[in-house]
Amino acid sequence: MTMYSRLTGVNYVLPAMALLMLVLFSPVLYGFWFSLFRIQYGAPTDFAGLENYARLLDDTELGATLERSALFTCCAVALTLVIALALAVWINRLGQRLGFVVQMIVILPWIISTVVATLLFRWVFVSDIGLAGSLVRMAGIPDVQLLNNPGSAMALLIGVSVWKRVGYAVIILLAGLKGIPDDYEEAAKIDGANPWQIFWLIVLPLLKTPLLLVTIVLTLSNLNTVETPLVLTGGGPGDATRILPIEVFDRAFVTFDLGSATALALVMFAGNILLVLAYVRLAKWKT
Amino acid sequence: MSAAPSRLHPRPAPRDHVAVPARSRIALPGLLGLVIACLFTVLAGLNLLPLFWGVLTSLKSQPDLFRTPPVLLNFVPTAENYQRVIDSGFLGNIRVSVFYCVVTVAGVLVLALPAAYAFDRFDFPLRRALFMLVVASIPLSLGAAALLIPNYLYFTRLGLTNAWFTLPLIYTAYQLPMAIWIVKGSLESIPRELDEAAIIDGASHFQILTRVMLPLTRPALGAAGVLTFVACWNEFVAGSVMIDTPDLRPIQPAIYNFIGYFGREWGPLTASATLAILPILIAFALLSRLIVSGLTKGSVKG
Amino acid sequence: MMQRRQLLNTLAAFGCVLASTLIPQAPASAQTKTIRMWTFLSATGTTPREVALAQIIKNYEAANPGTKIVVETQVWDQMTPKFLAAHRAGNAPDISWVVTDFLGDAIGSGSLADLNELFIRKWPAEQVKDHASAYWDLTKKGDKQYAMFASPNYISIVYRADLLKAAGIDPASIKTWDDLRAAAEKLTVKNAAGQVTRYGYAQGFSEQQADPHMMIPYLLGEGEQLFKPNGKANFASPSGVAGMTFATDLIKKYQVSPSQSATWTVDDLFEQFSSDRVAMIQGPSVRVSSLQAKLGKENVGQMLWPGNGKTAHSPAVMAGWAVGVWSKGPNKEEAGRFVDYFLGAESEKIWVTVGGQSPLMASTAKAVASFVDQPGNGYIRVAGEGASKYGWLTPIEFNVGGYRQALNKATQRILVDGVAVKAALEEAETRFNRQNNR
Repeated sequence: MTMYSRLTGVNYVLPAMALLMLVLFSPVLYGFWFSLFRIQYGAPTDFAGLENYARLLDDTELGATLERSALFTCCAVALTLVIALALAVWINRLGQRLGFVVQMIVILPWIISTVVATLLFRWVFVSDIGLAGSLVRMAGIPDVQLLNNPGSAMALLIGVSVWKRVGYAVIILLAGLKGIPDDYEEAAKIDGANPWQIFWLIVLPLLKTPLLLVTIVLTLSNLNTVETPLVLTGGGPGDATRILPIEVFDRAFVTFDLGSATALALVMFAGNILLVLAYVRLAKWKT
Repeated sequence: MSAAPSRLHPRPAPRDHVAVPARSRIALPGLLGLVIACLFTVLAGLNLLPLFWGVLTSLKSQPDLFRTPPVLLNFVPTAENYQRVIDSGFLGNIRVSVFYCVVTVAGVLVLALPAAYAFDRFDFPLRRALFMLVVASIPLSLGAAALLIPNYLYFTRLGLTNAWFTLPLIYTAYQLPMAIWIVKGSLESIPRELDEAAIIDGASHFQILTRVMLPLTRPALGAAGVLTFVACWNEFVAGSVMIDTPDLRPIQPAIYNFIGYFGREWGPLTASATLAILPILIAFALLSRLIVSGLTKGSVKG
Repeated sequence: MMQRRQLLNTLAAFGCVLASTLIPQAPASAQTKTIRMWTFLSATGTTPREVALAQIIKNYEAANPGTKIVVETQVWDQMTPKFLAAHRAGNAPDISWVVTDFLGDAIGSGSLADLNELFIRKWPAEQVKDHASAYWDLTKKGDKQYAMFASPNYISIVYRADLLKAAGIDPASIKTWDDLRAAAEKLTVKNAAGQVTRYGYAQGFSEQQADPHMMIPYLLGEGEQLFKPNGKANFASPSGVAGMTFATDLIKKYQVSPSQSATWTVDDLFEQFSSDRVAMIQGPSVRVSSLQAKLGKENVGQMLWPGNGKTAHSPAVMAGWAVGVWSKGPNKEEAGRFVDYFLGAESEKIWVTVGGQSPLMASTAKAVASFVDQPGNGYIRVAGEGASKYGWLTPIEFNVGGYRQALNKATQRILVDGVAVKAALEEAETRFNRQNNR
């Protein structure tokens, strides 16, 4: 690892770190400072210490929201990973031209903005006046009301989140697969390994870094997504799809309780960062 | 395409040398392949139908939007939605957004390469800690929506809001951590012997960076660039909050304008969304070869 | 390899050229004074209100060559919180539109200048009287006038005139809540298989984009209040329970309203209405014109809420947007002069005839009478009459943010989870009080 003089290294890192300091880290520090005040009319007034955080603890429903968030994130990430991995392996086997077409189709939901993509999905597949709903009615089948049942609403939210992000995961995993030299696999074949063994023992370990990257990005983006649940379910029915980002959004823009909204957002940040560190540790990833 | 770069990147020697047919890839059990093909058919339906429906909607006039049952093709197509979108100054938003994305991509790459180079090849105090900080800052950009008001106050205090450099600055910071990660991964696979040889030849670190590392990490830089472009193009929250002047507005808030206080106007909404994905599709079609080979050479190797 | 390098070089060159030609130019400001205004409308937009906005600004700029009005379009749901933050940061626009729910905060924060001082004190007495309305009083505190309404909104029943006519129902004959239910039953259509193809009445109950619940007119008509004087929720009063029971029974018991509406947003509701799936909906006056554009001018009308025998009509929730001048702005005088014109008699005629809004001033109502008499424009009169006689504005002495969401969630709990009406409303009270720290 160590090769050259210390100063040059610092010089090369400095511009990037300075920018991150200015735009990413210090606003969070300012946000923390902001959260220590009583906020009235959108502005900090008296120093309140940890009062905004204490108010979070008083909220008896927050625990359930946290559980739902965890369930939603785990399911969405796991499903996205499995589907993306299967698709990536399959696309990797296709010829160049066909592979390209398939890949473009797979990434479509990812490159459209979340709000528009979710609105369109909801209209076409979920609404009873959409394409699917009209077909169902014409077939004389009673309306399927996915959003009206707590279980199916959550399932739908997970499904749409997977749909939206699977393209991103496929791109990164596919890139990883293309990087595995063909000879590894040929060698394994000669040694008498079956395709499953090749996949589990050779391909998967070589995909460790892209899998880690994809897992982290998927976890964080699902954990922090506000647009998808807001547009798809609005958190309902009842509290069935109410996850943490909606809670933060409501506190900030519906009840205009900026103090506890900021406090909750910062607690979520801390959780996010701990998760990233845990992933890196678990994957025994060398830096 | 996959064979050429490998000459430049010596790989760890495989255990056995066998003649490898060029197209041979990881083999899957036949049944599983079939299952995956079915899965893809479903996915293709899920992906293409909304897009197809969106484009159709953008060509419909108001009374055709909500007929029962929905009309598929038996309507008179109209360009009025596109006309409305363009009349509202949308091409100006596209222009500004292209500018933001280009500047951001350039900024991200210029900053990420030296930083990744230093993280990979140099030793300096707090190197590990700083790198973990970079990795840990990925969530800061993904979850920044929650800190909207404090962020707005902070940036306004610094005088950084509502200027032509506001969004490139913010977007660069958002995308930089990921880019550093991808480029550093790419550098890891470049043998150190190359650096040492260059030093013996009398090259400075800066020359090594520009003459050796830059060409070798070009695919990784391309990949980071494409991911950055897509992320900037679709960014909404900072674009709507940090900018006030109409001439500086990026496209996402402009699209969102059609989901306004008085209801969503599907016609112009889908027309603007259709216009908005065209540049990204073109960029992707051009650069997707790069992204695949780019990540290949880098980060992604285990 | 060579090809790729060429591709890259071409792309890089292309990018540089783009970047150099695309650097956004800052707007030139020679000697003209620039007045910034935040609104959710776009001055380059093409909807009726946006056309009206552009026309009024053009008129003003023509008459005042030294002033340029720059419209800085904002995302509507973030605009008022952002205005408060901008006030704090010293970067607010000269003029901002403020939504009713946040008016109390905007006034309390000291971000809005006193319009009396800026221009109203120069008015003759009858001009002040001309503006008299509940909206005017809402933005008045003591002898100070903090804002003036630009976009009033009256939320009652929007109906399909053609469908009511075909069913032989005269909107004027719907005098009580029972009449409303009877009309809804008559308007509900089933197909041969017994599926409902059109519902009589609907409202959206999603928490996203929530409109005020129909139980509010119901309980207000009974003389009950939605909030206690100390700002705590008063949802589960006997009248509140009766109102909520009426609303949910339309769905559960009488099946004249769709159960899917538990998760409909306001926009979903309008799309259902546009696709012939519902004959009457709870709807605001500000949306009638766009519904008419989809369904035909004569086919969409608005009526007042029914009464309960004691009062002719139950009070409807009114909302909308007020326009204020930033108290710390550098151009308060000029901004005030523009607002004076922007919401004055001359402009309001444009807001009504071009923008399709209902008038706020008594004189405008008279001046546009012939326009309102045109077929399809009756809703303007209904909203105007309702606003003066049967209107209710949310209090601004305390923050009421979240009351619409709380009532909609209670409805979901009743419809989906089978919770009892009273229990659901008490749950909503607890949640609202906790959210607002009361």
